[in-house]
Amino acid sequence: MAKIGVFICHCGENIASKVDCTKLAAAIGEHPGVAVSVEYKYFCSEPGQESVKKAIRDNNLTGVIIAACSPRMHEATFRKVCAEAGLNPYLCEIANIREQCSWVHNDNDMATEKAMDITRSMIEKVKRNNKLQPIEVPVTRRALVIGGGVAGIQAALDIANAGQEVVLVEREPSLGGHMAQLSETFPTLDCSQCILTPRMVEVAQHPKIRLLTYAEVEHVDGFIGNFKVKIRMKSRYVNRDVCTGCGDCMVKCPVKKISSEFDCGLGKRTAIYTPFAQSVPNIPVIDKASCIYFKNGKCKTCMKSCQINAINFDMQDEFIDLDIGAIVVATGFQIQNTAGYGEYGYGKYPDVITGLQFERLATASGPTSGKILRPSDGKEPETVVFIQCAGSRDPSKGVRYCSKICCMYTAKHAMLYAHKVHHGKSHVFYMDIRAAGKGYDEFTRRTIEEDDASYVRGRVSKVWLENGKLMVRGVDTLLGRPVTIPADMVVLATAMVPQPNAKEFAKTIGIAYDEYGYYNEAHLKLRPVESSSAGVFLAGACQSPKDIPDSIAQASASASKVLALFSKETLEREPVVASTNEATCAGCWGCVLACPYNAIEQKDILDRSGRIIKRVASVNPGLCQGCGTCVTFCRSNSIDLAGFTEKQIFAEVMAL
Amino acid sequence: MITQEKYRSKAKKLLADGSVKMVIGYSPGSTADRRRPLFVRSFEEADQLVLDSNCIANLSGYLVTEGLLSDEKRVAIFLRPEGIRSLNILAAESQLNVDQIIIFGFDSIGREVSSLSGEHAGEFSELISSIKENPPEKSSEPLLYQIEQMNPQERFAFWKEEFSRCIKCYACRQSCPMCYCRRCIVDSNQPQWVNTSSHTLGNFEWNIVRAFHLAGRCVGCGNCDRSCPVNIPLRLINARMAAEVLESFDHFAGMSTTQEPVLASFKKEDSETFIL
Repeated sequence: MAKIGVFICHCGENIASKVDCTKLAAAIGEHPGVAVSVEYKYFCSEPGQESVKKAIRDNNLTGVIIAACSPRMHEATFRKVCAEAGLNPYLCEIANIREQCSWVHNDNDMATEKAMDITRSMIEKVKRNNKLQPIEVPVTRRALVIGGGVAGIQAALDIANAGQEVVLVEREPSLGGHMAQLSETFPTLDCSQCILTPRMVEVAQHPKIRLLTYAEVEHVDGFIGNFKVKIRMKSRYVNRDVCTGCGDCMVKCPVKKISSEFDCGLGKRTAIYTPFAQSVPNIPVIDKASCIYFKNGKCKTCMKSCQINAINFDMQDEFIDLDIGAIVVATGFQIQNTAGYGEYGYGKYPDVITGLQFERLATASGPTSGKILRPSDGKEPETVVFIQCAGSRDPSKGVRYCSKICCMYTAKHAMLYAHKVHHGKSHVFYMDIRAAGKGYDEFTRRTIEEDDASYVRGRVSKVWLENGKLMVRGVDTLLGRPVTIPADMVVLATAMVPQPNAKEFAKTIGIAYDEYGYYNEAHLKLRPVESSSAGVFLAGACQSPKDIPDSIAQASASASKVLALFSKETLEREPVVASTNEATCAGCWGCVLACPYNAIEQKDILDRSGRIIKRVASVNPGLCQGCGTCVTFCRSNSIDLAGFTEKQIFAEVMAL
Repeated sequence: MITQEKYRSKAKKLLADGSVKMVIGYSPGSTADRRRPLFVRSFEEADQLVLDSNCIANLSGYLVTEGLLSDEKRVAIFLRPEGIRSLNILAAESQLNVDQIIIFGFDSIGREVSSLSGEHAGEFSELISSIKENPPEKSSEPLLYQIEQMNPQERFAFWKEEFSRCIKCYACRQSCPMCYCRRCIVDSNQPQWVNTSSHTLGNFEWNIVRAFHLAGRCVGCGNCDRSCPVNIPLRLINARMAAEVLESFDHFAGMSTTQEPVLASFKKEDSETFIL
């Protein structure tokens, strides 16, 4: 005999202002099998929860209905309450009379009627609920960090320093990411390489970190605690195990005029190269597209110069399969293709450069050894114009968002320019100065007040060349008049955009992304570092534009989530999983194809002598996520989902 | 007659040398223009095989009779192009192993019967592609055209009228090669999703569920239509579903033995017109 307790929550005014809870409680009290039907202002509060527990114990309830908000909000809360009162938590159901009733209706009488229908329907369901036990799955205590920029480095170090194993995968030949390209970092002006390279070395030498550079994640299978990951080790053509990084090969390589990606095209590199001198690992790769040997089968100069025979032109890509418990995605960003801004002359005038190119000019390890020199003639620019939001906050160019870092780095650029070129003059066109951060506003003020950067509030319409000068035509909206500034160099604060393959890669690992390709967090405010997939966490600019402090903070937050997951040997999973009826399964394998988690396999049913009688579908409860796709596909209704069985759903529908 | 003789002698030869254990074909029926299935197990019986333009039933459903193919011996079967497509689907849905099936393919124009070249499922792919590319004229199904011109209310009224005659005998299911489930959803009574009694709701439930179960699987052989004792034009519902999947997913049922079921597979280029 069912003894169901129904607890109707007012949710303050949220429900009670539209639904007559007293009337609802009275009507539900009449429903067959209902032993308790009460209302209260906030059942989620401490006294509310206690009253539910007391009612369960006093009445020996066999099922509980909380008529309140969405199950997403408080199902877990009330299931815990039931468990504490000795009732199997899966005998508790939520009747959503807030989001699906009071919030969306105006007519009080009809809303009350609807609340009754919703509640009755759930009562009929809960009568047919089964006691379920959580599924325990083992956790592989090994984290995969994807991306070896500053966020990935931080996450890897935090996890490894807590004693857990980490595999760090970086697709470029070296760790470092964008931060390695930067000159000095705001707001303290520490040299970027000086603070980053020790950490890169720490990663490489850490006993708990397995570093895989020039490698890409090929395939991800499995689920939280038990991912199966396939990594492609791209062929470097240089044996990682024996190369000492002496650099002889790079000196001898005859192809020396390749535009360096690391220097944003301002410097040159060889065909066998490391991206920069402080690369970690300090092992070169051969750029197959530029190498003479790969083009016409002759050369091998590097091979001859190598004294330890580390170079092997026959090397093939290798694959590594890893068991992984948690994944931190730290795949970073790219800068927008500035060619879209024809009016600013990028690509047409060599002295119109991006902010990242300016970083390369300003850094001591860059192609000009830190001197600010024009790419066109190598002269020191006397006047530099910085254009902010050259891409960001511009819907017409496809980027509606603020890239967040440009106000700060432009201020830094103007400051570095003032420090390096004392007689130089800088002008900054801006829309707003967004300098929210510790010490940030003070920093921009310093640029304006001490380093004499002249800030002009307004947009630039056009840049053209006239008598050897870049003429920058803009508007000063504070004075309400157009301005034209003759400049020697123009620096564009280019927008941050997701990696070009961000959406494809999201599909590989099974996480959600927004319209731009930035990865979506599970909840913008409450779960900012968790992705939509359990066990996959986000760090750094792959989620949204971020500066270094934010990236590092998020990386450490992700690391703490990973460590929390690794704190136990097993993981409890919801027992909401599918199971098949072997007697009626027709073995068409539609479910096997339909399952997005590869959780259904073929099972042979054998007779005593081991002969196959028939083949049926069988669900692996460890892999099943309870989505129900297979249930809807099965023509003979041979699959059922625990917690949402056909009997339950049917009873729910028939109660309406 | 020539084709009939050709296949009779082929059947004799295969049965005589033991390459097949059975030939599934047609024999004379209760009236002059009816044919009934014949299961030939010996050399002598092969002379009873009949092949003419009245041999229209799709026999492929007999192949999934429980236990028929479990001894891994081979079976020969007379199939029209639709039957070969059904065979492909049955193989794609793991219900049989096509290597066990020898096809006696045939087709007819008017009263003229011709044989199809090839005897294994894989040898008919060009034929099936050409059927996909050259669909029958709309005028061949005037009723279908008529129904498609109706507005939703008229169409609903039309089918309500047609389904009102349904007596839930499930002959459509029994004759359909695609309805091979060991337990049909209508036979499941815990819970009883489909009302068993023969009234409007139950009749709609049954016929719509069947139409959905055949989406992307029906080859239009007409077995259901012909077996219906109250003459509900069931083929039209299925033809409509077939046209929908062809248009939405470029899926033509029974193209090959490895074709993935349209409702269980996902392609990136699938149209998502149903997502609002």
